[in-house]
Amino acid sequence: MFDPKLKEALARVQKPGRYTGGEPGSVYKEKEKVDMRFAFCFPDTYEVGMSFLGEKILYEILNQRENWWCERAFMPWMDMKAEMERLEMPLYTLESKDPLTAFDVVGFTLQYELSYTNILAMLDLAGIPFYSKDRDESWPLIVAGGPCVCNAEPIADFFDMMMLGEGEIQLPMVCEAVEKAKKEGWSKRELLRALAEIEGCYVPSFYNITYKEDGRIEAITPTENAPAVVHKAIIRDMNSQPLPTHFVVPMVGAVHDRASVEVLRGCVRGCRFCQAGFLYRPMRQRDSALLDKAAQELCSNTGYEEISLTSLSTSDHSQLEDLLDRMDVWAGKEHVSISLPSLRVDNFSESLVQKTTKVRKSGLTFAPEAGTQRLRDVINKNVTWEEIEKTCNIAFRAGYTSVKLYFMMGLPTETLEDIEGIAQTAQRIVELFYANPDKPKGKSVQVTISVACFVPKPHTPFQFVPQDTKAQLEEKQQHLLRSVHSRKINVNYHDSSTSFLEAVFAKGDRRLAPVILAAYKKGCFFDGWDECFKYDVWMETFKEFGIDTAFYANRFIGLDELTPWSHLDYGVSHEFLVREYNKALGAMTTKPCNRICSGCGANKLLGGPCFDYSANLVH
Amino acid sequence: MTTVRIWFTKTGEASYISLLDLQRVMGRALKRSGLPVWYTLGFNPHIYMTFTCPLSLGQESLVESVDCKTEEETPDYEAWKTALNRVMPSGVEVFKVGPVVMKPAKIAFADYTVRYHDPAAVQVLEQYNALESAPVVKKTKRGSKTLELKQYIPRLDLRQEGEETLFDLRLPAGDGLNMNPTLLTGYLAEQFGLAAEGVGILRTRLITDDGRDFE
Repeated sequence: MFDPKLKEALARVQKPGRYTGGEPGSVYKEKEKVDMRFAFCFPDTYEVGMSFLGEKILYEILNQRENWWCERAFMPWMDMKAEMERLEMPLYTLESKDPLTAFDVVGFTLQYELSYTNILAMLDLAGIPFYSKDRDESWPLIVAGGPCVCNAEPIADFFDMMMLGEGEIQLPMVCEAVEKAKKEGWSKRELLRALAEIEGCYVPSFYNITYKEDGRIEAITPTENAPAVVHKAIIRDMNSQPLPTHFVVPMVGAVHDRASVEVLRGCVRGCRFCQAGFLYRPMRQRDSALLDKAAQELCSNTGYEEISLTSLSTSDHSQLEDLLDRMDVWAGKEHVSISLPSLRVDNFSESLVQKTTKVRKSGLTFAPEAGTQRLRDVINKNVTWEEIEKTCNIAFRAGYTSVKLYFMMGLPTETLEDIEGIAQTAQRIVELFYANPDKPKGKSVQVTISVACFVPKPHTPFQFVPQDTKAQLEEKQQHLLRSVHSRKINVNYHDSSTSFLEAVFAKGDRRLAPVILAAYKKGCFFDGWDECFKYDVWMETFKEFGIDTAFYANRFIGLDELTPWSHLDYGVSHEFLVREYNKALGAMTTKPCNRICSGCGANKLLGGPCFDYSANLVH
Repeated sequence: MTTVRIWFTKTGEASYISLLDLQRVMGRALKRSGLPVWYTLGFNPHIYMTFTCPLSLGQESLVESVDCKTEEETPDYEAWKTALNRVMPSGVEVFKVGPVVMKPAKIAFADYTVRYHDPAAVQVLEQYNALESAPVVKKTKRGSKTLELKQYIPRLDLRQEGEETLFDLRLPAGDGLNMNPTLLTGYLAEQFGLAAEGVGILRTRLITDDGRDFE
C-alpha cells in the first residue's frame, strides 16, 4: 500500500494519477534481484514525458535485460512539488517509489533548453548535489542524452557524462560499464575514463575551456586521454534495430496518447533552420513489412485505437503507400485508425488523404515556415505556392474546412515584405476555398497562422546568425497583425522572451551554469510554461553575474570562430555548414539528399553512400 | 446479445484513475483481451460500457462493476475473467464475470471502511459519537441541501489496526440519495480540525433496497 505521506500528497494535488505508476505496460521487478538500476528522468510533466517515443524505446531495451531495471520519473507539477517539499518526500520513480538516490544511474533526456531548470529542481527534490564535482562514488551517476546534448554546455558541469547521438546500442554499453564498475568497485574517475571510450560518450569534466578577453572561446582542451572530438553514436541499419512493441500506456491522458512507429530517422530535406534535420543525418528508413508487423503488434499489446507513423518527414518514406496498404488490411478490422503527423506540402497526394482520413476528419496542418518564395529559398524549405495551392485544393475537395499554417519570424535576411507575405499566403488560401467548386457545401473556411520566433541553433547553417532582438520581433508581430484583413484568418504568435532565453541557452557555454542554478534557486522552473516563466527574474540574475545575454543570442558568430560545441561532432562538417550559410544569403536552394548528395559529410557515418541513387527513391 | 457484468477491485494505484480515465483504461483493456465485445454502431464505433456506481477519485473499492455487451449467447465467464486479468493495470483485479442479475437502479446503500492514520483521530471520533446533532451541507448540481449526519451515522464503532483507527459505515447510494463518506470526513475536518487528506476510504459492499447484496 502507499506510504501515508504519499497518500496525503495525492489527496491534495490535481490529477494524482500522474504520480502513482501502475499503468499497463509498466515494468516491475524485484529490486534485490537486479544488478543495475536506471532512473529515466523526463524534466517536464508526466503528460509531456509520456508522449516521448525515445523513452519508450529505451525503457523496453533496458528492461529486456533480466538483471537491469529501468524505471521512470517526471517533474512534478507545481502543486505536487510543493507538497513533496512540505512533507519532505524525495523525488521517486513511479514503479518502485524508491528515491532517485537508490539508483545506479539517473539519466535525463534533454529535449528542450527551457527544461534545464527542471533538471535542477528534480536533483534538488531528490537531495542530490547539483555539481558533478561535488558527487563521489556514493551518488548515482548523473547522465544525459537527447538532442540538446549537441550543446548542453550551459549545464555540462551538472552532469557526469552526456551521450551524443542515438541511444539504442550506446546506452546498454554505458549500463554494462556501470554494472562492471559496481561489481569491481571502480572509482568514479575510473568509470568515467571507461565511459569516455564508448562511441558518443562525452565526459564534460575531461575538457578544459579557456576564454579570450572579449568573451569568445580560446581553446577546448581534452584531458585524461579523452578524444579531442566526440563523435555521435548512430544506428547504421535501422532494419537491424527492433521497434518497441510494448508501451507503458498512460491512464491519465498524455499529450500524444496513441501508438506510434518510427518509420524513418533523419530527414533528407536540409531545411537550414532545423536542428533535428542536421543532428540525425543521414536519413535511414525501415522496411514497410517490418513496420507493418511492429505496428500491428504494438496496437494489440497496448489496446490503442490510433497509431501514428512518426518521423521528421513521414511522406519521404519511399514505401509509404505500400505500408499504408499493408496496414489497411488489419487496421479497420481491429478498430485502429492511422495518422500521419508530418506530411509535406510537396508530396501530399489524393490517395494519402483517402488512406488516412477514413475514420476522422481533423484539420489540415502545414508548415510553409516563411511567407515569400525568396525567404523559403533562403531557409531551403523547398515548398512553392503551386504546391500549397494543389494541396489545399485536394484537402478542400476531401471535405476539410480548416487549415493551420506554421511560420517563423526573425529568419535571416527577413524584411517586412516577408512578414506581409505570411498574411498574403493565408488570404490566398481563403480565396482558394471559395473558388473551389467542390468545396464542402454551406461551410466556411478557417485559416490559422501560427508564428514562432526563430531561434538559431548549433550544428545548423544558421548557427552563425544573431537572433532578432525582442524589439525587432515584437515590431514584426505587430506588422503581421496589421497585414491581416480577414476574419477567416486567426493569428497566433509566441512570446518572444521565451525564445530569447532559448537562444541564450542553445548557443551558451559553461559560464551560464551558475546563472541557471541561481535562477532556479530564485524560483525559476517550468520555464517553458507561460504561467511559470519569470523573464524579469532571469534578466536580473544574468545582470548579477555580469553576463551579457546579447553576446550569446544577438551576436554574429564568425565563420571561423571556435564555438562551445566545436568538440561535439554529429557527422556534418563545418565546411558544409559554411557553404550552406553562404548559399542561404544568395537565396540558393539545396536539393534533398535522396536526389543528389551535397557532401555534408554524414555519409562517413555509414561508411558509404546514404542512398542507392540508381533506384527511384523520390515519389 | 448478452450483457456481461465484470466485477473488479479498484485499489492502490488504480484508485487514482478518474471515471473518465477509467472508461478509456477499460476500453483499451477489453480491446487487448481479444474478447468478442460489442462495438456501438455509427460513425465512431466504440466498445459499449456502463459503469454501475462510480467511485470518487482516491477512494478504493472491492465491489466495482462495469457492464458490456457481447454477441456470444453463452459466454465462458471463467475464460473472460482470465483474459481480463492478463491486461488490467495494477490495483484492478477482476474477481467475477457473470450475467446481469439486477439493474443498477436497485442499489440503495454502500458499505465503506474508513481508515485514519492520524493518532489524533480516536479522540475526535469519540467526540463525534457524543454529539447530538451533526448537520452537513451536501452540494449537488441542483443546489445544496442540509443533511443530518447523525440520522445516517448515529455512532462510529472504532477499532485499531496497528497505529491506524478504523470504522465501518453504511450510507445511502445509487440513483436516489447518494452520500459520499467525505461528507463525514469533511465534517470532522471542519469541526475538529482532523485532516481529511490521506484518509483511506474503501467501499466493501453494494446493497439493494431490500437488504441483499447487489449482483
